[in-house]
Amino acid sequence: MPAMEGEMLKGHLDMIVLAALSAGPAHGYAVIEQIKRRSGQAFDLPEGTVYPALHRLEQAGFLAGRWTTAENGRRRRVYTLTKRGSRALADQRAVWKQFSDAIGGLLGGTRPWKNPA
Amino acid sequence: MEESGVISGYVESLAGKLAFDRSLARCVRQEVEDHLREAVAAGPEGNALEAERRAVANFGDPEAIAAQFALLSLARQSRKAGVAVVLVIGGVFFAMKARIAWFALTQWVLSEEARAVSAYVVAIDRYAFWLSAVVGLAAWVTISRRRAPAALHPSYRGQLRRFFLLCAIAAGGLLASVICDGVLSAIRLVETELSADFLVPVFSMAIEVACAAVLVFHIRCVARRMASTAALARTAHFG
Repeated sequence: MPAMEGEMLKGHLDMIVLAALSAGPAHGYAVIEQIKRRSGQAFDLPEGTVYPALHRLEQAGFLAGRWTTAENGRRRRVYTLTKRGSRALADQRAVWKQFSDAIGGLLGGTRPWKNPA
Repeated sequence: MEESGVISGYVESLAGKLAFDRSLARCVRQEVEDHLREAVAAGPEGNALEAERRAVANFGDPEAIAAQFALLSLARQSRKAGVAVVLVIGGVFFAMKARIAWFALTQWVLSEEARAVSAYVVAIDRYAFWLSAVVGLAAWVTISRRRAPAALHPSYRGQLRRFFLLCAIAAGGLLASVICDGVLSAIRLVETELSADFLVPVFSMAIEVACAAVLVFHIRCVARRMASTAALARTAHFG
């Protein structure tokens, strides 16, 4: 599968990061690994762009960050999804599902998309 | 594996670009260094220099990453300034009311001549203060519910400019009000002999001056971060 362009992913980065953290608390490196693993290495995004997203989501109250000490003695920031973050992820999942069904209907051309509204 | 210094250089460069927000720079330095060292450790065994270069290359352009962090710092500072505007105006209001109550309690009377002068100053003081309060509240409303965006897009720039303008007007009004309060207090104090009764007016004036200084400091911080963020965004072609 070809890797997706960075620009294509930018608008969805917050949702991607929230989804990666839905598996449990993790530090930045583990979040990136989780994104790569769960997306089947499809996302070609500079790893560094995930950190501003983590900070932005923390500022918005969707994530809670705390400093811990790793086994190698280095200070490490671990992020946890908050209740507000879980709710935001659920909302974004619903919107994405609707969007994906609509685009799938258009591109696939097999079954028309049914608007649930 | 021996360290080649590529990671240290990268991390220092990134933190250096965020020097205007020292706590953020320190946090970013530790977090990014942890990431890069872990990436090197997880990579294939071999040349340390190559491994560090690969980790840094995968991480991305430090200018672009610093620009995104700078935007977060600006958003946080703007929200803090918005809260500061409201708190400072409230602080000045209470200091002013406490002083007026003290003058009434101690039955501090003004001469006819002083009363005529102070009438003009009171009018300016009142208008300046309420202008500051209304505009300050509008500044806080403008920024308080705004989430930090992912990029410095034109609508966010416009909102920041409006917020900054409102803050500047609120600060101007508040400074005028504090100066008027100082003049009014001085008019009363010069007519009276030095006594312990002076403590409350002097202390309340000190609170007002400190409040105004806090507001100016916050606005200056926002202005500096706006400039730093815009400069980083220009060099990183981000926004």
